[in-house]
This record gives sequence, C-alpha cells and structure tokens, in this order.
Amino acid sequence: MKKASWILGVIFLFTLMVSGTASAKPIFGILLPLSGPFSAMGSDMKNGTLLAIDDVNAKGGVLGKPVEYILGDDELKSEVAIRKYKEMVDGEGIKVIGGGLSGATSVAVNEWACKNKALYMAFCYSSMPLGKEYCGYGFVAGMIPYQSGVATARYSFKNLGKSWMMITQDYRFGHDQLQAWLVTSEKLGGKFVGNVYSPIGQTDYSAILPRIVATNPDILVLNIYGQSLDSIIKQLGEAGLTDKKMKFVIPKSHENTIKGAGSFYTQNFYGGHNYYWAQQDKYPGAKTFNDAYRKRFGGPPSMDSDNGYTGAHAVLDAMNKAKTTTDVPKLIQTLKEMKFQYNKGPEQFRACDGIRMTSVVIVRGIGAKAKGWDLGEIVAEYPVEETLESCENNAKDIPFGQVKLPGK
Amino acid sequence: MELTLTLIITQILFGLALGAVYIMMASGLTIIFGLLDVVNFAHGTFYMLGAFAAYIVISLFGNFWLGLPCAIILVGLIGWMTESLLIKPLYGKDPLYPLLLTFGFSIAVTDLMRWIFGTIPKVIELPKGFAGSFMSAGIFIPKYRVFIICLTIAVLLFLWFFFKKTNLGMIIRAATRDSLMVRTLGINVPRIWTFGFALGVGLAGLGGAVNSSIVAAVPDMGVEMTVECFVVVVIGGLGSLGGAILGGLIIGQVISFVSLFASDWSNVAIFLTMFFILLVRTRGLFGEAGRL
Amino acid sequence: MKNDLRPKVQRGAGNRTVWLALLVCIVLPFVISIPLATEIMIFGLFALAFNLLLGYTGVLSFGHAAYFGVGSYACGMAIRYAGASIWTSLLISIALGSLLAAIVGALAIKKRGVYFAMISMAVGQMFYFLALSPLKRWTGGEDGLKFIPRLKLEFPFFVDLGSPYPLYFFVYIIVGISILVIWRILNSPFGRLLQAIRENEERTIASGYNVTMAKFVSLVFSGFFSALAGGLFTIYLGYGPLHSLYWLTSGTILLMTILGGMHTFIGPVVGVAVFLYVQNQFSRYIERWELLVGILFISLVLIFPDGIVGTIKNKYLERKADDTSPETEPELNAKTETEG
Repeated sequence: MKKASWILGVIFLFTLMVSGTASAKPIFGILLPLSGPFSAMGSDMKNGTLLAIDDVNAKGGVLGKPVEYILGDDELKSEVAIRKYKEMVDGEGIKVIGGGLSGATSVAVNEWACKNKALYMAFCYSSMPLGKEYCGYGFVAGMIPYQSGVATARYSFKNLGKSWMMITQDYRFGHDQLQAWLVTSEKLGGKFVGNVYSPIGQTDYSAILPRIVATNPDILVLNIYGQSLDSIIKQLGEAGLTDKKMKFVIPKSHENTIKGAGSFYTQNFYGGHNYYWAQQDKYPGAKTFNDAYRKRFGGPPSMDSDNGYTGAHAVLDAMNKAKTTTDVPKLIQTLKEMKFQYNKGPEQFRACDGIRMTSVVIVRGIGAKAKGWDLGEIVAEYPVEETLESCENNAKDIPFGQVKLPGK
Repeated sequence: MELTLTLIITQILFGLALGAVYIMMASGLTIIFGLLDVVNFAHGTFYMLGAFAAYIVISLFGNFWLGLPCAIILVGLIGWMTESLLIKPLYGKDPLYPLLLTFGFSIAVTDLMRWIFGTIPKVIELPKGFAGSFMSAGIFIPKYRVFIICLTIAVLLFLWFFFKKTNLGMIIRAATRDSLMVRTLGINVPRIWTFGFALGVGLAGLGGAVNSSIVAAVPDMGVEMTVECFVVVVIGGLGSLGGAILGGLIIGQVISFVSLFASDWSNVAIFLTMFFILLVRTRGLFGEAGRL
Repeated sequence: MKNDLRPKVQRGAGNRTVWLALLVCIVLPFVISIPLATEIMIFGLFALAFNLLLGYTGVLSFGHAAYFGVGSYACGMAIRYAGASIWTSLLISIALGSLLAAIVGALAIKKRGVYFAMISMAVGQMFYFLALSPLKRWTGGEDGLKFIPRLKLEFPFFVDLGSPYPLYFFVYIIVGISILVIWRILNSPFGRLLQAIRENEERTIASGYNVTMAKFVSLVFSGFFSALAGGLFTIYLGYGPLHSLYWLTSGTILLMTILGGMHTFIGPVVGVAVFLYVQNQFSRYIERWELLVGILFISLVLIFPDGIVGTIKNKYLERKADDTSPETEPELNAKTETEG
C-alpha cells in the first residue's frame, strides 16, 4: 500500500513538472494575490485582466495571434512576486510583466524590473512614479496614493466642514493620505485637530473612540483599509456616532467595505473611488464594461477590475502598435505616446513618470438602502488635472513627500 | 489632547471591555492546557468559527440572543470532533505533536472558511437596545461593551461554580492533577478530556460570537487572536485560571493606554509586557500547578 | 513502529547522504527553475539551523524568523547604508544573528520548553512590529528594504550576482560549506551531548554536564546559520522583505523541517525542497493551496511524524533488520546505525 502511494507520488510530481511547461511562448506575465485575505480584490483584478485579454483577442489578438499569458499568485508578498517574475523573465523570456495589489510589492517589483530591464505595469495604487522610485521601466494603471487624498480633501473642505481629525493606518499608503490632506488643508483653510496612528491589523478601536468624541471634529477621516475599515465603521456606529453631525471621509473606499459596513455606511460617509460602476451614466465605455463584466462574472466591476482591465489592455495595445512583444525600450516609448479610451474618458500614461491620467469620483453612502449594485451616489468627480502634481514635483516628491508626519 | 481624569477613566473602562474578551479566551485556553497539556494553537480559529456561527444563526433566525448560545454549542461540537479524531491519537507522544497539529488545523480551517464564505467582512447588527453609549460627566462607554463585561463576569461565575460545586467539575479538577488515579477509579478519563477541550474552545467561540458585533467577521480574524491569547495566558501562568483573568486585565489596560499615548507601539507593547513579566517571574504571575 | 525519539549514533558512512545531496544540488538549477533552486538552498540552510535546535537539542523556538530576518536586514542595510562589500555584509549578518541568539539564550534558555517557545515567539513578533512601524525610516516598513544596487562579488574573483546562474552557485558554495560545518558540529562529542539532552535532560545533568551552556551554544549556532541564510536571502532578492520577520515564516520553517524529518540530518533540506517545489506547482493550478498545506501538516503529524527522510530511513532499517539472520545477537540492533 505504501509502495503504491510512493509510485503514485512520483508519477504525480513528474506530471506536474512536465505539464508546467507551456506550449506556446507567453508574452505577458501577471501576478495577483489570488489566495489569502485579499483574494477578493485580486480576483477583481484578474477578472478585469481576463476581460481585457478577451477584448484584444476578439480584435485579432497581439500581432495576429491569440494572447499567450501566465497568470499567477503572488500571495501579496514581495519575495514571492520577485521569485515568480524572475522565473518568467529569466526562465521563459517574458519581457513584459504586470499586476500587483499591494503598493509595497509594486515598488519592490518596480525596482527589480528596472535592474532586469523588464516593462512593469502595476495594476494598483503605487508610489512608483515618485522621486527615486521612478526608474523608467514602470507604469501605474491605478493612481498615486496622494491623488485620492487630494480629491477627498478638496471635496471635504468645500462641502463638509473645516476641522478634521484622521485615523491613519500606520503604513506608507496611510502616510501618503495624511500628507496629502495636510497640504490640501493648508491650501484650502482646513483646521487639523489631530491624528491617531493605528497599527496594521488592529480591529478593535475602542481605545481611540474616547479621543474622537473628546476632539469632536467636523470631519473624521478614516485612513484605514481592508477589514479594519469595516471594524472601525461598526464600532463608530455602535457608539452612536455615525448618524449625528460628524462626517466620515474615506480616501480610498471600496464596494466590499460598503457592503460589509451595511447600514452603518450612512449618508455621512464619503469615499474616493477611481472607478464606480454608476459612471456609466456619463461614459458609454463604462456601460459596455459593466455589461460585459456582469455577463461573465455576475456582479458589478470594482475599481480593481477597471485597473486590471486598463493595465492589461494598454500593454497589449502597445505591443500591437509597436509591433513587438520583447523590445522593451520601444514598448515603453509606445506606451508613453499612446492615447486610449476604455471604460471612462480619454486617457493616457504620462510620459515623464508613467502614471495613468484618470479621474477620481466621490461616492456618498446611502445607509440601509444599500442593496445589490446600488451602494451609493456619485456626488463629485475630480479630473486628473486637479489631483496630479506636475512632472517636476513628482520627480522631487514634493509637496507631499516633504511633509513631516505628525508624531513621528 | 489633554489628559483629563474623564479621559483616563474612560480609557480604563475601555481597557476592561477589551480585557473581558481576552479573559474569556484565555480561560478556555487555560482549561485545555491545564487538563490536556495541549497547547491549542488553533484557539483563534475556534474564535473565528464562533463569530461565523453567530453570524449564520442570526442571519437565519434574526435573533441575536439565539446566536450566542448556538455559537457556543456549534463550536463546542466542532471541538468535540476535533479532539476525538485528531488530537486523541497523539496522546502519549511528544507534546510537540498536538501543538503542530493544531497549528496545521488553524491554517487549513482558516483557508477553508475563506473558500466557503469569501473574504468580504460579515456584519451582525446589534439588537436595538445595545446601540449607543452610557454617558456621564464626559465619561462614556458603549452599552454593548458593558454587556460584554457583564457577560464575562457571568461566565467566570459559571466556571467557578462548575469547577467548585459540581461533580463533573470536581472530576475534571482531579483529572488535571492525577489522571491515572481518576482512571483507576473507573471514570472514563478520555471522555473527560474531550469534554474539557470542547468546553475550552466553546469559550473561544463565545468570545468570537460576542466580538463579531464589534469587528466584522472575517476568516483571518483568528490569526492574531491566537498569538494574543497566548501572551495573556503566559503572563498569567499556563494552567492557572486566576492567571488568565489577571493576564487579560493587564493586557486590556496595556493596549488601551499605549493606544492613547503611542498608538504605533501598541502591537509591540503586548510582547514587551510578556517579555518583561517572564523575565521576572519565570512561570508567569500566578505560576502553574494546574490550578483550575 | 517507533515513532519518536531514538538514540542516534552517526557514523562516517552517514556522510554519504550529505555528499549525495550536495551533488544533486549541483544539477538542481538545470532541472527546476533557478530562483526556486536558489530558494531551496537558502531555506534549506535555515531549516538545518532550525533543526540544530529542534531535532537535535530538543528545543522548540517559535520565533526563529527573528534570526533569519535580522540577518536579512543587517546584510541589506550594510550594503545600502554603508556600502559594504558582500563578504563584510554577510559577516555583519552572522554577527548580529549570533548576538541576538546569545541575548535570547542568556535570558531564556533555562526556561521550560513551552515558555521558551513563547518567549522566542514574542521576540520574533517584537522585531516584526519594530521593523514595520517604529523603525520604518531604516527598514522601509512594509515596503521592505529597497534601493540595494545590483550586486556583484569582487573577491576572490568577479561574480555578477545579478545573473541567475552565478548567483545560484555563489549561494550553493556558501550553503554547502555551512552544511559540512554543521555536520561536523553534530557529529562531534558536542553533537552527541545535544542529543543526550534531547533524550533525557535530567539524566544528562545528573551525569555532570553543563546542560544550560550546551543549549546556549546550540542556540547561538542556530542563530549564526539562520542569520547567514537571511543574508543570502537578501543577496538573492536584491531586496529585504518584511515578511522574513513574520511569524508565519517561523511556522513554515517548522513545517518544512517536520515534513522532511526532524530526527534526521538532511531531512529538513529535503522537506524544504519538496515543500517549495510542490507549493510552486500547486499555486499555479489551485488557489486553495493554504488549505492543502494545512491538511498536509495534519496528515504529517498524524501519519508520518518522522517526515519523508525519517520514514524512508525506517523502511530501510526495517528491511535491514529483516535481512539479518535469526542467529544474530539481538543486542547488535540496540545501537541503531543511521545514515545521514
């Protein structure tokens, strides 16, 4: 019996080894967190990518052939991502890689891509275009973190009040939002009354609720992401704070958060999204995207879906335009010059730093009425000119990067 | 931010509420360790299962009060099966093995729950009476937190009564001291162990059910909780119920006050506390000796 | 079937397995992907270092990622902030890793098993959270340690560590030498003392040995090689990830050690190879690989606690015992010969 299981085991391993080799040569390697706690968002990105590949194939594929790609799991870990990208670039001869949900992973991969002369299209929000992170081989199909901070801050000081307090999840993305808000607050006359750092993974915010109540700001900025965001919303709700006068602003919100928070995501909540399905009222591209996405995957696309779609589609279009899948300098040049319009308005990647030039919408909560697709109402849209700094500023990482973080 | 007396008192109250859940979890862990000599690395997983059990029951039947006891029973049953099938075969072997097994169990079950329920947080609505806070002279505490504190006290009283006054409780205490002797008296000790495990994880499940109204239920919610429980139990002394209580209280206050002054250190603070207490008192504050 | 601790006397013949393993590793990068092969070498060393403490001395450390992570960050920081050479940086890694192990040992090695495991876990967690937040300016926080330039070796001859093959063989040589060194350590009287401690600590104390000192030295050796593995990891990635300090890294090295066989010498390396390879293959097809890992763990503990190499060895020994004629003295089998 044991002998049989050993034989089976060897055959199994052998089959795996053999079947691992692809038949046609892949041209694009994508890694996303398909397992683990963020697999829902990774899955959205994957769906967007698959839809983009389908659309490109429907128009003839890349250089006349259907798209051959590798889609793998980076487990949200930089070292896993680097190892797998190494296999793709060194082992399979792929020159164009993409994906990523975590900003931290994206900057690590970006640095590696530069050292190894591969084109990297990050699907997520990333600081790759800033300061010394930028090295010429990376593009961002999401946004630079400060953009959502600027958009939400602008909206808040114009419409919601002046005094603001922030709960900052203690990592780079959180700090970026804090810096964006501090700068915008000074420009627009906001009044900063306090910031509390929350370690990643914190779920019980009871220890800071008293401080929030004592400070009593007009605006409480929930600079928190993932499941901790739902937790703090719940706890604010249970303490009776979500339906009083305080307004809650979330620089980068998400459909999953709204669903998770349920009736506590009241009309006092405002979140920044770089894509929200209801934009189809304005953009016909969004309607096509929403319909195709719903037909194939069942639900509405989230901003992760849009970022995945845009990143993948742009890369494949660039390959067709440049008539190559491996000449990286040519592809980079093409991507920088290319103009496209997929799910929103006309867009492009900025030549100096590779950032996608796209807008942010502010979505207001609707409390208990939230159901199915209907999770909020769009109250404002900020075009890229109002959120993105100039090339020179990004290259020097000013003004936001120079802001001293309070209490650090 | 000024440090007023009201702020301090409020923080202390919140620290109590935080500590209450830890006390509940740590008691369960202590019972398991004291009785079975098993280091249950899946304790946080049962906490998570309790949260989901409560979520399912409340979603189906709409009754919050039904959710809590159902969570205890469901998790207890899962614990019963786990102990009988997976842990029992390991008795008599190196104590490393049950630790490893529960570790693997936690990885497997967490991923299984991600598969079944997805990673979108599940939210339980509180009963109407629990919304809002008690306020007095600037001191406030949400009503639900007060409920948690009261519930924990009730649970502790129940445990005290159970272990000191009932026959079964007495048998368990005896089995903790000298299982061989109890066996020779004709009592089915393996069955006792299974019960002890079920009781221990049932408490964890209750902790999860209770907490699921505060933090949204997510399959990964048990991961950090396991580690924190161990800190509490080790501070108090493995195997000592009194230690579990004291450890829970201390950790609750540590988290509360460190969050107030240096919130980015609150994670490190728990471990620093444990580190220093262990250096000073090797076996934790109340020592061991399998006291229940 | 004997399922846990048996006395082991290593003979020279056991060397065969180690040399065989080293030989296989020369061809490894040509059979499987090079990055994977390199990681197997690095984590194999880490697992051996870990098993020095667990399988041989009988001490479970639940926060071993601390030494690995400290080695990883130390190497990276030396290169990035001080412009140090590869060799210097690795030496710094080893020094700091050993130092940390010495500190933990001085404070905690006398504690009973479970408490030591918990303290070591606390140390591991502390370093993780320190690197994540308060010390972010130097460690990069969750971004990890970046801006390490493309690495090259100058002495004794030029090696471009940015290329896959040279990098692999550089790692291979260092790991190979380390394996031989660890082998020597474990086959010396000191190594036998460690095993005696694992078997029966009280008796060893009663025999007059300074058990505390022996455990302490074992821990320092373990920290030494774990940190070396960490330093190599940074060189391999060109980057220092935060995850190297995470407790799951400690848990995974434990799993891989057990998978391979914690009561054997080469078992941990085999465990690393099998685990990393299968994980790499699995995650291509199945998104639920964590579930499979958990089930694997449970099955291992319940059915194959000796791990792969351990089980193979048992089969080999059983067959050997069957081969001996019935007239052989039963005492001859009491001192079981084991190979690597």
